[in-house]
Amino acid sequence: MADTTKRLIRFTPIQRLWHLGLIFIFILMTVTGFAWMYVETHWGQTLASWFGGIKETVEIHKIAGLVLLAGFVLHILYALCRVDWSKFPGSLYSPDLLMMGIRDFGKMIQHMGWTIGLCKAPRFERWAWWEKFDYWAVWWGFTITGITGLMLYNPVLTSDYMPGWMLNLALWIHRIEAVLAIGHVFTIHFLMAHMRPGTVPFNGAMFDGTITMSEARHDHPEWVARLEKNGELEAMSVPEPSVPLRVLYFGVGYIIMAFAVTLLAFAVINITAVTLL
Amino acid sequence: MLARRLLVAIIAAVVTIGLWPGGTTQAADMAQGSQGASGYFSNSDTLPGSYKLYIQTGIGGGLWGLGPNRGPVKRSSFNMDPHSEVRDYNDARDCKGCHLEEARDMHTVRMGITCRQCHVSLPIAGVHQYYSPMNPIRRHAYVCAKCHEGATPSFAGFVIHEPTVLDAIAEEDFPLLYYAVWFMLILAGGVFVIFLPYTGLLLIREYAARLFGRSNNG
Repeated sequence: MADTTKRLIRFTPIQRLWHLGLIFIFILMTVTGFAWMYVETHWGQTLASWFGGIKETVEIHKIAGLVLLAGFVLHILYALCRVDWSKFPGSLYSPDLLMMGIRDFGKMIQHMGWTIGLCKAPRFERWAWWEKFDYWAVWWGFTITGITGLMLYNPVLTSDYMPGWMLNLALWIHRIEAVLAIGHVFTIHFLMAHMRPGTVPFNGAMFDGTITMSEARHDHPEWVARLEKNGELEAMSVPEPSVPLRVLYFGVGYIIMAFAVTLLAFAVINITAVTLL
Repeated sequence: MLARRLLVAIIAAVVTIGLWPGGTTQAADMAQGSQGASGYFSNSDTLPGSYKLYIQTGIGGGLWGLGPNRGPVKRSSFNMDPHSEVRDYNDARDCKGCHLEEARDMHTVRMGITCRQCHVSLPIAGVHQYYSPMNPIRRHAYVCAKCHEGATPSFAGFVIHEPTVLDAIAEEDFPLLYYAVWFMLILAGGVFVIFLPYTGLLLIREYAARLFGRSNNG
């Protein structure tokens, strides 16, 4: 295969499935969460009306949260299975895994320096530092919103184990962390994943599981060098995905992104109408 | 034959145990106090230290005194009729005319609950008045449980009328909430303050590198 048409496998089907599930559940959580947060506005009431009213919306938010947490627990088990325990703990820092190490912090500083012209760009292995950051941010976000969300799931039961006023804290922490997650995903993540020169107008890596060889050589030169050195490059190379598949994920992807950005825009426009902020 | 007898014995044992749980559960419930409870208090309310829930002023509920109700308490909140000294007051007046800040709470704003649905008595007794339905001794049963089935005194410790969380008043009245919200806001703000400009710069740099033909790697 020519270098221009060759693609490198980047994500396994199960990893793509995690991401796809996450997209749908995260959007559902965002819509139902915003409906509750903005219920005193016309926009919030419109969102709630999609689910039959605010009571139903909150119930769906709670159930979706449980599904999300169950998925998170399954993902933790999956991640643990990916570790080579016979070579633990060194295997945690395998370049194919997403564990952040000291080197990643070094590359982060170097990369920030490069953006303002102070030094050369770092050469990334399979994962750039911001990709690892994005991954762990999900753990961080789910842990915080998950714990506080579970506290709020049944407040009467929760208050049997802690003072009721801890629910005041849970509400605020849940709210701020959720807004942080939404804001981060709908701006920084979308820009970094889809708007960089090598990926614009749409990065399909998470949907077909591959990236072009030229993009791999440009963004992850150490990864390609390792595969070449180990003689694994050809085995990891696949042809381009079919056009119908690309059209499908391009279309669905852009509909979801446009919807998400619109949600964020409405949230910003209506923010002053929310009394509790 | 022996096997058959053994099978019969096992079935008999299972049936006996199956029939027994009514008594066992009842005994367990009695041991936990739920059968004997009034319905207004759960077992945990009678544990040592739980009396703190009923102390009405200046205790700041646990966690090294970082909990709520640290601020000053209005003397009038102990009165049977705190409005008796308010000029031109009558029961038909809109509460928000004077208590606008108190109406900025989740029950009012999001659920459309009116003040009088919780502050039920007439005259409206101060929340610390001994016979008030809002007194922490009975608030959970007389007020909260109307909507929140099984509400306990601990549950009633939820602060309905939160201080404005970023104000100095919140630092005095509910320090833990004040510090937690500030921490979360700094965390969230920090992420955007660092990563939004960084993302913008990165995109500019990468597009510039492509446009002007300079390698991305140096």
